[in-house]
Amino acid sequence: MAEKSPARPPRVRPENDPFRAYEEQFVASPDPWAEIVKLDHGSDRTFGSTVRAMVMNAEPAQRPAMEKKLIQALAAPGLTAVGQLFVCRMLALIGTAECVPAVTPLLNDKATADAARFALDGIENPAVDAAYRDALGKLSGDAKAGLIGSIALRGDRTALAAIQAIQADAKEPAAVRTAAARAVERLTAKS
Amino acid sequence: MNPLLSRRAFLRNTSLVSAAAAFPSFLPSRVLGQTAPSKKITVGFIGTGNIAQGHLDTLLGFDDVRILAVCDVDKVHRDLAAAKVNAAYGNRDCTAYNDFRELTARADIDAVMVCTPDNWHALNAIEAMRNGKDVYVEKPLTLTIEEGRAMVSAARKYGRVAQTGTQQRSSRRFHDTAEFIRNGGMGKLSRIEILIPANNKYVGANWKPEPVPAGLDWDLWVGPAPFQPYTRQGCHYNFRFILDYAAGQVTNWGAHYIDIAQWALGMDESGPVEVVGDGEFPTTGLFSTATKVDFTCRYASGVALRCRTRYDGVSDGNVRFFGERGWVDVSRSASTASDPALLKEITAQSGKGAVKLPSSLNHHDNFLQAIRTRARPISDVEFGHRTTTVCNLGNIAMQLKRPLKWDPAAERFVDDAIANRMRTRSMRGPWSLV
Repeated sequence: MAEKSPARPPRVRPENDPFRAYEEQFVASPDPWAEIVKLDHGSDRTFGSTVRAMVMNAEPAQRPAMEKKLIQALAAPGLTAVGQLFVCRMLALIGTAECVPAVTPLLNDKATADAARFALDGIENPAVDAAYRDALGKLSGDAKAGLIGSIALRGDRTALAAIQAIQADAKEPAAVRTAAARAVERLTAKS
Repeated sequence: MNPLLSRRAFLRNTSLVSAAAAFPSFLPSRVLGQTAPSKKITVGFIGTGNIAQGHLDTLLGFDDVRILAVCDVDKVHRDLAAAKVNAAYGNRDCTAYNDFRELTARADIDAVMVCTPDNWHALNAIEAMRNGKDVYVEKPLTLTIEEGRAMVSAARKYGRVAQTGTQQRSSRRFHDTAEFIRNGGMGKLSRIEILIPANNKYVGANWKPEPVPAGLDWDLWVGPAPFQPYTRQGCHYNFRFILDYAAGQVTNWGAHYIDIAQWALGMDESGPVEVVGDGEFPTTGLFSTATKVDFTCRYASGVALRCRTRYDGVSDGNVRFFGERGWVDVSRSASTASDPALLKEITAQSGKGAVKLPSSLNHHDNFLQAIRTRARPISDVEFGHRTTTVCNLGNIAMQLKRPLKWDPAAERFVDDAIANRMRTRSMRGPWSLV
């Protein structure tokens, strides 16, 4: 049996070697899935672009694992508002019912409801409709008007009574009542 | 009775309109002399920046048009536009609005010019049509495929005239070439090559939020797109290089030249069945639209259409049709061909073939005549939607970097869930396509 050759000792570049910094940077290259949570307005979005390319080019069999990474990113410490929006927009491409529990808390907060809808609008699953109907009573103002629009576009007629009540509620702002009126027209139109 | 309706009913019965039905091409009505105020088409502008200036100048020259109001979220722009209108009319009657919904709510406005950034087109136009206005919408018609279908549906539902601002259809050069192709003048067509200009604005990799200038309603400027703080480089004009608001030169120039290809192919109410793309997109920095465009569509007839970026610095596109008889190439500046005799033939055959394409020599006048006759304008919203769809198919294919099959009847991709989700985009509240 041939004797194994001894392991080669790691190469140590001298301090003044111009490739040393490059090599260290390469070895320390961060995980793009971890970096996306730090995105901010005007910051380097290279890692975001990497994740976006991976999501877009994923084979169907690879998407569940990517969706899981995105769900984990939503709970990552230090998640910025821009990072959160980015993750939601990636879920808009590959999200399924799996991500609904993680996104729903965002849906119920006026500050993050739009981002949540970006993630959920394209998911054809009753869990999304249920989450939307539930959020109707928790949102107000523009976020509520946007939610009503999403419900109408999804054609969820089980929300009709709730939306009609909003339409008739004089305390609601004009934008919300207008959104409700148009949603009622859409949901009651003969197809 | 609604005074607008009664006035339109009157207009429908004038001899002018009878003439319109008989002859598809017209001299602008301003040459006919003074138009009584009650017969004037009243117009409002939504968006008064860069592209709107040309439209303002043109419509101010029409005697049968009265611009009553302008709207812009930038006070500097809207005040300048209102001043221009008032100076032209010698009064102070033009009202300037910040919110387009105030303009579209006015009962005394017949038609609206939509000259806002692309992500606003559908919402502006649909709101105007819902309020009984006819609309002229700058190209590209919409940001997404779903918005385009919604705009067409609104035009039909409310019975409105909707003209797309693809004004090359109102050019004899493009009309005659398209008609020649439609009548088989080149023999069986094999492929179409389109060149569009490269991006003409660049910013570095980094940007940072800046204070919003006084008089700019930034939240309303962003509108349905995901919110992003103001930065000067991402606002006027440059919006077209940010994917949240536009699709870059694919739609900026592609909307013009792909439109001529669609016209020549007789695909005004359909489109290709396959698309594949290999573009390049910036991976960081403010701008996100393709810096290198290259995609190819294939139609059911077998014709391939390739659209790509040109790097010769020419600020124009061109479309080249290859057929059994060679090739012909048409741009805004010139027509060329593999055989110069083909160019003479194109001119000589105009209006003589079995297929006679609608003719217009003035895109604005065509819109105004359509308002009076209630006929479809030369760049009807359906045609604009189909052309913009081809642009968007290319943009989606370049991002996904895989061949896609497209069903032009259902307006859906075949067996590609991600591509189908990219046909539409969610909107920030309170905005919605509903």
